[in-house]
Amino acid sequence: MAMLIRRSNLMVPITNPRFVSRAWRHNADAITLDLEDSVVETRKTEARALVKEAIAQVGQGAAEVFVRINKPFVQADAEASVWPGLRGIMLPGVETADEVTEAAALLTVLERQRGLAVGSLQLIILLESARGVWHIQSIITASPRVTQVGLDESDLACDLGISPLPEYDPYVYARGRLAIEATAAKVQPVGIRYPLGTQARLLPAAELHTMANEARNLGMKGVICPHPSWVEPVNNAFTPTADLVAYNKRVRAVFAEAIASGTAAVPLDGRMIDVPVDEWAKVVIAMAEACAARDAEKQAALTRLR
Amino acid sequence: MAQRLVRRSGLTMPVVTKRFVDNAWRRGCDYINLDLEDSVPQHLKAHARSLIKEAIPNVSKGGAEVFTRINHDYVLADLEAIVWPGLRRVNYPKAEYGAEIRQLDEIITRLERERGIRPGTVEIGANIETAVGVAYGYEIASASPRVKDFGGASGYDMSRDLGVEMFVGFDQFVYGKGECELIARTLGIEARSAPFVANTTGSVSDPEHAFRTAEAARKCGFRHGGGLNPAVVEPQNRGFTPSDEDVREAHWVLEQYRQLAGSGETWGEVNGRIIDRYEAARARDTLEWAELCAERNREKAEAVARVQAAMAEQTSRASA
Repeated sequence: MAMLIRRSNLMVPITNPRFVSRAWRHNADAITLDLEDSVVETRKTEARALVKEAIAQVGQGAAEVFVRINKPFVQADAEASVWPGLRGIMLPGVETADEVTEAAALLTVLERQRGLAVGSLQLIILLESARGVWHIQSIITASPRVTQVGLDESDLACDLGISPLPEYDPYVYARGRLAIEATAAKVQPVGIRYPLGTQARLLPAAELHTMANEARNLGMKGVICPHPSWVEPVNNAFTPTADLVAYNKRVRAVFAEAIASGTAAVPLDGRMIDVPVDEWAKVVIAMAEACAARDAEKQAALTRLR
Repeated sequence: MAQRLVRRSGLTMPVVTKRFVDNAWRRGCDYINLDLEDSVPQHLKAHARSLIKEAIPNVSKGGAEVFTRINHDYVLADLEAIVWPGLRRVNYPKAEYGAEIRQLDEIITRLERERGIRPGTVEIGANIETAVGVAYGYEIASASPRVKDFGGASGYDMSRDLGVEMFVGFDQFVYGKGECELIARTLGIEARSAPFVANTTGSVSDPEHAFRTAEAARKCGFRHGGGLNPAVVEPQNRGFTPSDEDVREAHWVLEQYRQLAGSGETWGEVNGRIIDRYEAARARDTLEWAELCAERNREKAEAVARVQAAMAEQTSRASA
C-alpha cells in the first residue's frame, strides 16, 4: 500500500473569502474547510453554500481537501460537502463507534448520489472528551474510511475541566494512547507538541519545526495547522532530512555486509545494528521518497496553474 | 507471590557467534539470552537452532540462567530445537495476542512432558514491541501462568512501529510502559520496565549510563536488567543491588518504626523523614532484595570457582 503523506493539514474558515482564496498558495498537503468552530451559529447555512466552490478553489495546488463538519449537523453538512474533489470529512467530538458507523453510511449514500467512487471518502477523527479518548480503539476501527485521528486539545481541556499550564503537559496519557491505539489500528495519529495544540499561536519557524519534530518523535504523522505559517516548518519536520536518509543508507549497507559475513548484529558508531534497525532504515528511505513524490505532485499542479 | 527472581543483568547474543557463546559464562550476568531472532541472519536460522542444546550447559556454567529468544514466525521449529533441560525461559518477541501465548504454552507443555522437564517450569517472556501488543497487553500477560513478568513497549521495534527516532531527549514510550506496568501489577506478576534516562548517543556499551538506568529502575521498583554488551553487566548488577548506604538506611527506618510501634503511634517524623508502615514495608523489601542479590552473587561465584578449578585440573593433567 502506498504510504499516506499528509504532513500538514491547514484549517481554513470557510466564511473568510480571503483565507479561502489564498489557501492553495501555502503548500499544505491537505486543506480543511471549516464549517465548525470558526463559523458562528447564525451563519451555518450560508457557510454550507460556499463549500462546493471552495473545494475546487483550495484544491488547485493539489492539496487534499477535507471539510470539518458540525457534530449536531452531520447530515446537512455532509450533504453540502460531498462533491467531486473532496477527499473526506473531518469529524469532531467523536465519542462512540456508532457516530463513525453512521457518518460512514451517510457518506456511502452521498457517494452514490453524487457519482463518487463508493468508499473513496475518508474520515479524520477528532477526539475532544475523556469518553472519546477512552473509546479510541472502537472509534477508529469502526470504518476503514478512518485514515487519521487527533486530539482537539482545547476542547479536551474543557471536557476535563482544566486550564492547563504551558509548563505541564496534561495529555501525556491521552497522546500516548492516541499514538499506540492509532498505530495498532493502522490509522495515522496527528498532533503537535504540547502546548501548541492547546494554545495555538504564531511562532518563529525554527521553534515550530522543533515542536513538530518532537511530535513526530512521539508517533504523530502530521499536524493540523491553524495558521498558514505552520505549514512549511511542519512539512519540513515530517520529511526525513538528507542527513537522516544518508545515515540510514549507511545502516543498510553495513547490515547487508554483516548478513553476508554470517551475523545479523553489527556495531556502527557505538550502536548495535540488527533487523529492526535495518527495517526502520527501509521505512525512512521509503518515507523520504514518498514525501518527494508528494512534493513533486504539488509542484506540478502549481506549474500548471502558472 | 513466589520468591523474586534475581535477573539484574543479562546478555542477549547471537547463538551463531561462537566467541560470544564460549565466553558467556565469564561475564558475571544473572542470565544469558541466546538469540535465534534479530541477530541471526535468515539463512542461518536452522543452523542456529541446532546450536542451542549444547549452548545451554556451556553458557550456564558460570551460574547464569539460560533463556532463548525465538522467532515470532518460527515458533514450532524453534521450540522443538530449544526446550531442553536447563532452559529457564522462552522469550517470544513481538507478542500481539493472547492466542499466540496459549499456543506457545501448549507446545512447551508437550515438550516438557516428552523431555523429562518438570511441568510448568519453562517460563514464557512475552515481549511487547508493537502498538498492537500494548493494545492487547492484558490478554497477552494473562494468557499463561508461565508469564512471570511483563513489560517492554520500548526499544527499536517499538520505535519503528510508532515511526519515531530512537535516542531523543524525552520519553516516547511513557504510555506503553505505563500500560504494561499496570497490567503486570494488576496480575501480580513482576513489572519489567525502566524510567526514562536520556541516552542520546545510542551507545550499548556505556557503563555509566547502564548504572544510572539500573539504579533509577531499582528506585522505581523494577528489578530486571539486560543488555547487549559485556561492559554493561557489572554496572547493571551494581545498579540493581541496594548499596551499603541503602541497606544501612533501611535498617535505620525499621529501627525507628519499631520504636514508633512501641510508643503506640502509627506515624512519626524523625530527622525530617516520615516513618510509617509504608516506609517500613519499603525498608523490609530493600533488605530482602539485598539478601537475594547477595545469595545470587554467591551462587555465581561458586559456579565460576568450580569451572576454574576444573580447568586448572585439566591444565595440570595435560602438562603432567
